[in-house]
Amino acid sequence: MNKNRLVGAAASAITLTLALSACGNAGGAAAPEETGPGEVRVWLVGTDTPPEARDYLKKTFEEENPGSTLTIEEQAWDGLVDKYTTALSGSDAPDVVEIGNTQAAAFTSAGYFREITADEFETLGGSDLLPGFVEAGDWEGKHYALPYYSGSRVVFYSKQVLGDTAVPTTLDEYVDTAVDLKTDDLSGVYWPGQDWYNALPFIWENGGYIAEQAEDGTWDAGFSSEGGLAGLEQIQTIMTKGNNAPSDAQETDLQVPFCEGKVAFLSAPSWIQWSINAPEKPEDPDGVPGCASTYGKDLEGLALPGKDGGAAQVFAGGSNIAIAQKSARPDLAMSAYEILLSDEYQSILAGIGLFPAKTSLFEKVDQSTSIGKAAAEAAANAKLTPASPKWADVESKTLLQTAFSRIAAGEDVKTIAEKLDADIEEILNS
Amino acid sequence: MINIRKRLADTGFGVLALMVFVLSAFPVYWMVSTSFLPNNRIRGENLAFFPTPDVFTLDNYRAAIFSPRAPFAPAVLNSIGVTFLTLVIALVVGFVASLALTRFQFKGRRTFIVLILVVQMIPGEAMIISMFRIIDGWQLLNTIIGLTLVYTAGVLPFTIWTLRGFVNGVPKELEEAAMIDGCSRAGAFWRVTFPLLAPGLVATGVFAFIQAWNEFVTALVIMQRPEAMTLPLWLRTFVQATQATNWGAVMAASVLIAIPAVIFFLIVQGRMTGGLVSGAVKG
Amino acid sequence: MSSTLLDAPAPPRQEIRRKRRPPYLPWLLLSATMVLLGVLTGFPLVRLVVMSFQEYERAQLMGLPAEWVGFDNYAAILTDVDGFWTVLARSFVLMVVLVVVTIVLGMLVALLMMRVGKAMRLLVSVGLLLAWAMPSLAATTVWGWLFDTQYGVVNNLLTKITGDRWFGYSWLLDPLSFFVIVTCIVVWGAVPFVAFTLYAGLTQIPEEVIEAAQLDGASAFQRFRLIQLPYVRSIVTVLVVLSMIWDLKLFTQVFVLQDIGGDRELTSTIGVYIYQTGMAQGHYGVASAIGVIFVIVMLAIAYPYVRRTLREEEL
Repeated sequence: MNKNRLVGAAASAITLTLALSACGNAGGAAAPEETGPGEVRVWLVGTDTPPEARDYLKKTFEEENPGSTLTIEEQAWDGLVDKYTTALSGSDAPDVVEIGNTQAAAFTSAGYFREITADEFETLGGSDLLPGFVEAGDWEGKHYALPYYSGSRVVFYSKQVLGDTAVPTTLDEYVDTAVDLKTDDLSGVYWPGQDWYNALPFIWENGGYIAEQAEDGTWDAGFSSEGGLAGLEQIQTIMTKGNNAPSDAQETDLQVPFCEGKVAFLSAPSWIQWSINAPEKPEDPDGVPGCASTYGKDLEGLALPGKDGGAAQVFAGGSNIAIAQKSARPDLAMSAYEILLSDEYQSILAGIGLFPAKTSLFEKVDQSTSIGKAAAEAAANAKLTPASPKWADVESKTLLQTAFSRIAAGEDVKTIAEKLDADIEEILNS
Repeated sequence: MINIRKRLADTGFGVLALMVFVLSAFPVYWMVSTSFLPNNRIRGENLAFFPTPDVFTLDNYRAAIFSPRAPFAPAVLNSIGVTFLTLVIALVVGFVASLALTRFQFKGRRTFIVLILVVQMIPGEAMIISMFRIIDGWQLLNTIIGLTLVYTAGVLPFTIWTLRGFVNGVPKELEEAAMIDGCSRAGAFWRVTFPLLAPGLVATGVFAFIQAWNEFVTALVIMQRPEAMTLPLWLRTFVQATQATNWGAVMAASVLIAIPAVIFFLIVQGRMTGGLVSGAVKG
Repeated sequence: MSSTLLDAPAPPRQEIRRKRRPPYLPWLLLSATMVLLGVLTGFPLVRLVVMSFQEYERAQLMGLPAEWVGFDNYAAILTDVDGFWTVLARSFVLMVVLVVVTIVLGMLVALLMMRVGKAMRLLVSVGLLLAWAMPSLAATTVWGWLFDTQYGVVNNLLTKITGDRWFGYSWLLDPLSFFVIVTCIVVWGAVPFVAFTLYAGLTQIPEEVIEAAQLDGASAFQRFRLIQLPYVRSIVTVLVVLSMIWDLKLFTQVFVLQDIGGDRELTSTIGVYIYQTGMAQGHYGVASAIGVIFVIVMLAIAYPYVRRTLREEEL
């Protein structure tokens, strides 16, 4: 290949890159917008959204937009960021997408979502929308992803397993009780090693932090701070001395060991109560058996106790929802979006114990049971991960999962914490 | 005395052979066995080692095939379509190219051969994003054609490289002899050389098959709609589902994706190794 | 089929008049290849090189113009001892282990197939064929299930045999046992191909040669070293080269096992590392630069092989 041809090829490649870039910029705003019936695709993640809500969304949308169709395509939390990165940048992008609240910044900062204008924001709920989650979906003062639901973790237990043991009222008691209860056949607290969400309260309650931003904008990770280490020590105590869950497992199928009666305390998202309370023989072929007639019968909930009593600061789990910048039909997407944030739809979510996107609907969550009450207490004290667009990279590198697996395997806490801090700082400050 | 020693040796080697069989077949056996067991005999410490009639169940297959998360039938059709097209296009295009590289002397031939070799060293994972942009630009996302193009480009260098060895292995003189007998050049080729190349084509085709049937990372990016999934993507939805890692269903899904591959390998097995040997010995 | 080839009558050594062929014919035959590879490999390759000199992240994928950063990406990678170099070294060590184990085991199985009776040979063939045909994703999933921490049959059997409690023992968390399992999966899937091919090669050796050696009092090992091995040497070479290419490109097995529960940082091989950097974390510029460096490293290693091939081509 001679030189001229090479240069030519490179030049044409560059031109093409630029041309593609130009298209990208124009894509959202200037493209002539179609009207009339069309297809809208909604990507919901995992099985958190109950079937009733899905049916309601589809039915309502197709009634309000005669001739148009709405398809819900279920995505997996695993590898979600990888998939969205390409899927949302392509010409066949979905229209409305759910995204984990801690992952949202990676996309809002890169122009993946359509801006929600101030007017639209007011119509969709305005200041009624969960403030922490609104913030998670903002970028440079504009709204891109609004709250979808929140659901902090609740500690579940069954009196049949717990027996006469007193329910712990402080975090230290919780740790001690877990260790006391543990036998070869019973986990005091069932805690698979990769479940890092459940670890954060221990860090926070002991005065530690995940990462804080200094005046000059650099991040400082705090797992190896004094409070962080104290928290990690407690976590290791529970994981190694009060727990039979595998050190390398993810927090899947939590209802299975619980239904076998092998778990005293289980800290899990509140919707897991429905998995536990499912019939032993599921009707749906894809369904997972629960134990409605045994341990599900007297299922109780408890907000994770704090260091000095009361409810601990827990991780504010949940999702945001956004309209893809590359949506071919932003008008129809907005129509679906309005339904997703409507009081009716959000009330369905509240009905299964998720906290709806609007604070005014919190009362719809049944708080007459101990589980509902615990969920409300936990939600009131919930905190988020560091607000950096790079935080999603920390998650996609599974740094925390790995670190806590190692802690569960009994390795030295200080070494792990220092390594983890260095890795997190490297990513956040890059 | 010698007889006894020979007997002992025979038995020893027989036992060894049995061990090889057990080791290679056990994972497959375990997959099939698990796929017919109910969840309570899969998990827990009381494992069932054989799906006896009292516990035998088809529930896992029901769960796999009728999963609401990812439809099975389109995945099968997509996989068969992509694999078939990749196989055919790669073999035809690759075969023609290998002829040019072996039966002709021309300027640029050596450069071409080196390029074919070098291209195989590029890690595919680094190219995914560019591939995605190209296929997207052609509006071929979520289509069998789009994925086929990517796979074909992926296997083509290897196909050409291998086929070149096989074509080299068939002596030119055979064709020339046929030409003396009055065949045209093309006729001589089709009647004499081509039949001798059949095992080579089978051997090469197997690699194209493996690539197209098993690949999932590029497919993950190109085939994003549920109805556009290929079988590996479909299988992954079972492994990934956060709430229910239903091992029974995962194994049933694995069995379903392995069956066509086993059939294909049964058909081509004999031809393939023979082909590779002749290619290597002669090439 | 190959025996037909060997038995084919020697072609008559007569001079035949070569027709002059049009010079464009080979290019015509190559045209389809050139279009396909030019567009779907050549163009992405150019983009790969271009991107490796840019800061190309998620925002650029959405259309933000990319900034030129010169050799910054390269500098970052080449000074990243804990990242890139470790991964590269790990990939090569793993490749060498995998190739050696695969070829040695494959050869042993092939020799075993020569030695045992017909029934046993059929049994071995069936087992090998099953292992060979298993799609890699399904195979990795099944192996992950065998070694599952909680419910895996391996931990179950170990508990029954040793009497200790193996339930909950994690095979994937420790990088060493992670790679032992990767090796099991890869070797399990690769040995059949090697064994079948070598067996087919070994059966081509005329029986008289072996018998003659036996009569001369050669031991089994001597027969292998002096007769069988030289005869299949060219096949072994091809198998080694193929295995090297495949094992360096190892992706599925590592990627899927990491998903099930491995330490990504301590177990990534080069392909997985590029995927993690690019697709998962959105640093496409850096990932491209890693790709370019990897190709250069490969070229340096393969240079003798390329030269030899070219020399053969001149003949």
